[in-house]
Amino acid sequence: MEKHLHRRKQRKKRIIAMIILIIAVAASTFELATFLPTIGELNTPANSYISEYYIENAVEDTHSYNIVTAVLADYRGFDTLFETCVMFLSGITAMMVLSTKDKVSKSIEKKSDDVNIFESDIMDNAFRIIIPIIMIYGIYVLAHGEISLGGGFQAGALLASAYLLDKIIPGFRTVLDRITEEFALVVAGVGSFIYLSTGLLPMFNGGNFLEYGKLPFGSKSIETVGYLHSTGILLIEVGVTICVAGVIIAILEVVLERTSFDE
Amino acid sequence: MNNFLIILENFLAESGIYVLTFILMALGIFGMIVSGNYMKKLMCMNILQVSIIFFFLTFGQKNGATLPVVLEHLLGAESYINPLPHALMLTAIVVSLGTTGVGLALLMKIKDIYGTIEEDEITGKGGSKNE
Amino acid sequence: MPILILEAILLIALIFVAMGIIIGQELLPGVIIYCAFSFIAMLLYTIIGAADVAFTEAVIGTVSTVYFVIAIKSINRSHKK
Repeated sequence: MEKHLHRRKQRKKRIIAMIILIIAVAASTFELATFLPTIGELNTPANSYISEYYIENAVEDTHSYNIVTAVLADYRGFDTLFETCVMFLSGITAMMVLSTKDKVSKSIEKKSDDVNIFESDIMDNAFRIIIPIIMIYGIYVLAHGEISLGGGFQAGALLASAYLLDKIIPGFRTVLDRITEEFALVVAGVGSFIYLSTGLLPMFNGGNFLEYGKLPFGSKSIETVGYLHSTGILLIEVGVTICVAGVIIAILEVVLERTSFDE
Repeated sequence: MNNFLIILENFLAESGIYVLTFILMALGIFGMIVSGNYMKKLMCMNILQVSIIFFFLTFGQKNGATLPVVLEHLLGAESYINPLPHALMLTAIVVSLGTTGVGLALLMKIKDIYGTIEEDEITGKGGSKNE
Repeated sequence: MPILILEAILLIALIFVAMGIIIGQELLPGVIIYCAFSFIAMLLYTIIGAADVAFTEAVIGTVSTVYFVIAIKSINRSHKK
């Protein structure tokens, strides 16, 4: 009983503190926010200098109609390389922190070997129809990253969420059950390595790091420089997809091993 | 009614939307300080991240412009919105997922060693169990 | 309706949902409200014109919510605050 009263008093104090905070922040930023640029104007400093070059020359340089993919994978490809490395590092860290002998051995599949609680038509159809469609949609988003909206990050997360759906539905044994967390991390490392080697290949041909114009594919004429840029973007997106999918699957496996669904 | 809407829109474009974004950021930081539970602190960290990503994306808006996918009959730099903040914020969202994963792994390890994830009980014990 | 007024309405809804997360006392309702927060943020990104960012936020918000639910089930607390 004391705990209830204590909790109610704490809740009231928190609500009053939040309202005072909102009023204080609103009153002190009314005047300061007029120093920031007006929303929607055409001549702000953020819209003037280099983004005009990106918008006007993206189709000519890279043959990609989606300007965000062209900026992310061609003009600023160096930043995306390190982002992929950071994702891989976070997967390794999560696995290193939680690797002890203290694993709860009951997972969802083994429980439903004895008692088939979740046998129903909805689960059946979800398993057989939806999961392949999600995988195909993921590969479609990867391949269409240059023409319409999409790209490498979205495709990797979609492939991982197909695996997630398969892991949650109990009662079936498939090939996807054999993926352990070490294998998923190795796959993520291979994805990062594909990105890095696409950057190193032009150096054997006389170019700089990540210079797509000197990749050793095709003939060397002026018309194919745009196509070489497009090939380089596709190879990079494949590397990013594999890395992101591997890291999400690895973290999921590591967190799921210590969970028991006994109740 | 039309006059009122025009006045409201001018006020919002100058400073209204920035004020709302700063309120959301302040709520995120306040939640991280006040919460007594470690998992709630992780959720408030994600609130803070959403507010900052939105703040960056407002710098790219242009009146009368369309999505940054090139169409054949629209040329020129004033008919597409600025694609540079979008590319930077894509990276930020994916890195925030990795941060949440590492934070949850650390939480489970803390639960193993201390037995609880409330902040009062952990700081009250004064040090780890293996002394 | 002009776009800026729609943005302001969605931002005020986001502020109320964030207040709901901070006030709440138990963890599992908090995670469900966090899923709603991610969804309204995705709508906000779509209205502003950033379609790639909205797509990414939709998929990653789903995965993040599933991580939180599995972690809560594993920690299995008996103390509520």
